[in-house]
Amino acid sequence: MADIAHADAHHDEHESTGIDSRKLGMWVFLSSEFFFFGALISNYMLFKGRDFAYETIMPRELYDIPFTSISSFVLLMSSLTMVLAHNALAEGDQNRTRTWLLATAMLGMVFIGGQYFEFTEFILEGMTLTSNPAASAFFMLTGFHGGHVFLGIVMLLSLYGISRRNGQLSEAQGLNLELVGLYWHFVDIIWIVIFTIVYLIP
Amino acid sequence: MADHEHIPHPTPRQYVQIAVLLAVLTAVEVGLFYLEEGVEQIGTSITAPALIVLAFIKFAIVVGYYMHIRYEKPLVSRFFATGFIAALVLYAAVILAMLFSSNIL
Repeated sequence: MADIAHADAHHDEHESTGIDSRKLGMWVFLSSEFFFFGALISNYMLFKGRDFAYETIMPRELYDIPFTSISSFVLLMSSLTMVLAHNALAEGDQNRTRTWLLATAMLGMVFIGGQYFEFTEFILEGMTLTSNPAASAFFMLTGFHGGHVFLGIVMLLSLYGISRRNGQLSEAQGLNLELVGLYWHFVDIIWIVIFTIVYLIP
Repeated sequence: MADHEHIPHPTPRQYVQIAVLLAVLTAVEVGLFYLEEGVEQIGTSITAPALIVLAFIKFAIVVGYYMHIRYEKPLVSRFFATGFIAALVLYAAVILAMLFSSNIL
């Protein structure tokens, strides 16, 4: 009886809002990330159209829109594979969950690889982190986004490794998959904004 | 209990249809970019607002269907919207600063 009471108290402690505390915590964290990326995007907007007294290469002169469009498509499709992994786990299909988790991580790696290629091209063309404030803002914004994608890949591969080792994802680990999924989709929506504001709008 | 808890989540097939829609919207965005590049008369007066609307639609689709915010309790939407609106206010403040001061830095 005491155990039941303890379990109820524990349950209330975590779900007084009716939402699992960890899930609510993730939503609050993602909400705070809007401030972070909002500042970086604003910083880029502040410098992107400015003229500088010295000769320098601006990010806009180097953008490869077809290439970045494909990268954006890859990241969008990784959101599909992520939600399919979540759906497969909800249906209790562990094999399909692992397949989609791995697919999501691989699509994330393709995106990161594309970003590495883009950065390398820009640097070879003469635009570095210190070339001008617009270049700094560009590298900071897209670099931090890439860092978020990298962290997401690490979490996805961790879940994949746990699933492989244990043969399945437990109910608690299922929640972890949902949280990683929320984070991954958030990284995707931030890229939707970056792709439009940084690359497509003059 | 709120009704939203009883809304069934999309099926895998519907998730794929949503992804196709997102891909089409992205293609339209890229098309608008090249339209603006090719037809200078249009300028940014049409393309920039159109691109922002398209990005917002894609944003809302991912948040609503892939992040399942449509199926969550309203508290979640409120938390998420608070951060998003605050960031928009910050962004708008920067734009205003740019408009009203050419020598801000």
